[in-house]
Amino acid sequence: MTTLLGPIGSALNKRGLTLAMALVLFALVAAPLATILVQTLYPSSAAWGDVLASRLSNNLFVRPTINTMIIGLGVAAGCVLLGGFLAWLVVMTDIPGRPAIAFMATLPFMIPSFATALAWGTVFRNGRVGGGGGLLEGLGFAVPDWLSWGMTPTIVVLIAHYYALAFTVIAAALATVNGDLVEAAQMTGASRKRILFGIVLPVVTPAIIAGGSLAFAGAVSNFAAPALLGLPVRMQTLSTRLFGMIEIGQTERGYVLAILLIGISAIFLGLGNRMLSGRRSFATIGGKGAKPRRFALGNARLPLTMAAWVICILTTILPILLLVAASLAPSSLALFSDWTLHYWIGDSNPAFARGQPGIFHNPQLLSALTTTLILGASVALAANIIGILIAVALTRQKVPIMSNLVSQLSFLPMLLPGIAFAAAYIALYGAPIGPLPALYGTKLLLALALTAAMLPFAVQTGRATVSQISGDIDEAARMTGAGFFRRLGAITLPLAARGLAAGLLITFVNVIGDLAITILLYTPTSPLLAVLSYSYASDGFHQFANAVTLVILIISMLATGAATLLRGRRRQSFT
Amino acid sequence: MISLDKITKSFGNSNAVSDVSFSVPEGSFLVLLGPSGCGKSTMLRMLAGLDQPTSGKMQFGDTLVADGEVGLSLPPADRNAGLVFQSYALWPHMTVAGNIEWPLKVAKLPTEARRARVLEAMEMLGIERLANRYPGEISGGQQQRVALARMIAPRPKVMLFDEPLSNLDATLRVEMRFELLKVHAATGATAVYVTHDQVEAMTMATHVAVMNNGRIEQFDAPDRLLAEPASAFVAGFVGTPAANLIPIENGMWFGTMPDPLLRDHSGHAMVRAEQITLADEEGLRTFDAVLAEVVPMAGRFLVTGIVNGIRITAVSDHVARPSGKLHFRLPAAPAAIFDKQGTRIS
Repeated sequence: MTTLLGPIGSALNKRGLTLAMALVLFALVAAPLATILVQTLYPSSAAWGDVLASRLSNNLFVRPTINTMIIGLGVAAGCVLLGGFLAWLVVMTDIPGRPAIAFMATLPFMIPSFATALAWGTVFRNGRVGGGGGLLEGLGFAVPDWLSWGMTPTIVVLIAHYYALAFTVIAAALATVNGDLVEAAQMTGASRKRILFGIVLPVVTPAIIAGGSLAFAGAVSNFAAPALLGLPVRMQTLSTRLFGMIEIGQTERGYVLAILLIGISAIFLGLGNRMLSGRRSFATIGGKGAKPRRFALGNARLPLTMAAWVICILTTILPILLLVAASLAPSSLALFSDWTLHYWIGDSNPAFARGQPGIFHNPQLLSALTTTLILGASVALAANIIGILIAVALTRQKVPIMSNLVSQLSFLPMLLPGIAFAAAYIALYGAPIGPLPALYGTKLLLALALTAAMLPFAVQTGRATVSQISGDIDEAARMTGAGFFRRLGAITLPLAARGLAAGLLITFVNVIGDLAITILLYTPTSPLLAVLSYSYASDGFHQFANAVTLVILIISMLATGAATLLRGRRRQSFT
Repeated sequence: MISLDKITKSFGNSNAVSDVSFSVPEGSFLVLLGPSGCGKSTMLRMLAGLDQPTSGKMQFGDTLVADGEVGLSLPPADRNAGLVFQSYALWPHMTVAGNIEWPLKVAKLPTEARRARVLEAMEMLGIERLANRYPGEISGGQQQRVALARMIAPRPKVMLFDEPLSNLDATLRVEMRFELLKVHAATGATAVYVTHDQVEAMTMATHVAVMNNGRIEQFDAPDRLLAEPASAFVAGFVGTPAANLIPIENGMWFGTMPDPLLRDHSGHAMVRAEQITLADEEGLRTFDAVLAEVVPMAGRFLVTGIVNGIRITAVSDHVARPSGKLHFRLPAAPAAIFDKQGTRIS
């Protein structure tokens, strides 16, 4: 093991890499979190009192927390139901077009939640908060407030975004129970219902809990959906409240809310983990008999197929089409008439949208586009390089305590709501630290925060890569006497390149679709696309917001498609 | 006890099992033996009731359990049969005792009877101490015992095994063969056992059905398979070592050594390893081979040489000379002759 990396390995001493990575993680993850806690307690802990026990606490804490919890639980339940239903259809039944449904069901997660929220508005918006109604009002329906704004649309939009998570997790678990385990139960003469409740559900329960708690954590930390759909009617969640506090300069109160949000998210992820512990070893032994048995749907086949496709199309293609139409139609009431490219390429014209030029004539857009692309690329690169280094440190060097610390810290950002994490970055790097200048308002701060937020995923990718470096394949090459760099070029890179490239692309997509972190940390002089879209939307310029969102979507889809291609081919040729 | 009449199973246009008929008496131990893809697992799944035959009839005792023509197929539970899966298929969320008890619960046995049955099954397999453990916490061999206990607890009249030992290491496999036979003897049930390992077939079976391409090549007792193989396939598949199949052409060994006993036949002649002797030098009825390997076995040696790309094995009392050249001597007569299609002629 000690000569695994040859010259490089001997250059770094046995603990050097782990120590270096621990320092990096301290600066990127631990220090901001510690600072945010310290700043709410010192020099004064009055902010805690303001938030938790004062005349303000009902507005600051109680109501937003209740709303956050309702959203979290509602979204978790909805995601488990919807994702579980699709997973059941795809894995256990003879529904036609299973691969296509399985592919479609993983896509919504790649569409930023503010895109889905904007698409919701194009249909269900009513004129109550100005900016004109949506498609339904245009058709003459009076859309009630509860359907236009607030809790219901927020929950629906977030379910449409996060059910893909639950689907992936539950489908994987169902695939292991299907086959022998079910047939063994059939042999006993148990009824279908009894097999479902006695065997299938208990075995899949850990996955259901995992999928539900992931959806919960995602929903409570989401900023875009409650901000776009809830804020206009003053529905506050912890994340929108936190954003508001920091915007108006009450940063300590904002930090307290951030800590509370982290706490809620952590409690639920912890509960999920608790319920899972001890049951995780549900490994089953493979056998040739484990081919999936498809349960014949019979008469229900057609309606269920339709239901599956309706869900998939409603959550993937339809929102995109609605955004396209809404970016072309001058009147939000008539999405499909008088289409014009004005909002995309038109010159400033006082008759249109109070003189706003089309997005491609907006100098801000072009600068936002380049900023977004450069930021996305550099964060993806930085996160994945650190990810690989951490993976190497974790597999090669076993330093007591330190290795464990590095591993825990690198996965911590996954549990942290983005907006709370961004608040922590303001707390630490907003003011000068010794000789270092204040970073608040610089792109560097944004890049650092995003890099830290992407670390858990990057470390995963890194581990997959490193496992290839250190496995039998590499040892086989070492036996031939090939040196480290020869092996790197001839064996490791060709094998790992596709996976690494796919990992880079996915990180890139996550960065350019992020709003929770960027909304707090962007630089006013050169905002990012997501922020631009959000500010257009909050100013009531929906066509422009939709157009900008589409630009993000197109870039995301290209990158996701490329990543899928890279992964797909790799899978075919190496397994 | 089990009788099959012209059972056929097709998937699309291809037949996984074609026209299989046989019957075995109660209490017998039938092994379905064949290479992978020969249709033996499909046969077992039809016996279990997990698959339905396309045509043909299947009877357990006096009960008609499946009839392809009228689409009859009794569900698994109504056949009084139990199945042990290759993967064991233990339910991971139930303890060992829970796994054994669940089928009894489904069968609506009263609590007292269930407890007694579970205990009895666990005692028979020596796993009482594992009762409260989960499948993920015990070893592969122990999981195999749990799977067996779960199968026998409802006291099925027919016990089905789908390559149950293939996930175990060699030592455990020998041990579990013995356990299986013990369970079979204690229950008196009829067993059907699928394997591709001819040693398992030879050591455990009362009846063997050798399958190839969805058909039964030979249905016989194990010793009969060795003594009188019905086809070249069977001759080359069973036995340790399997018999040599030497190509013959127009009555000549290897197409070059004429022998009146071969009577102008073309195809293969079966010569058992113990019939071939090692000669010190070339002579009458000898042929040359290049030494491939020498395997010591029970105080003797299996000497394998290669002639025209064909492996020929002989049993010898001493190790061959290390020169690499061998002289094999043919016996006075071949044990059997098969034609080019593999059918036995004499």
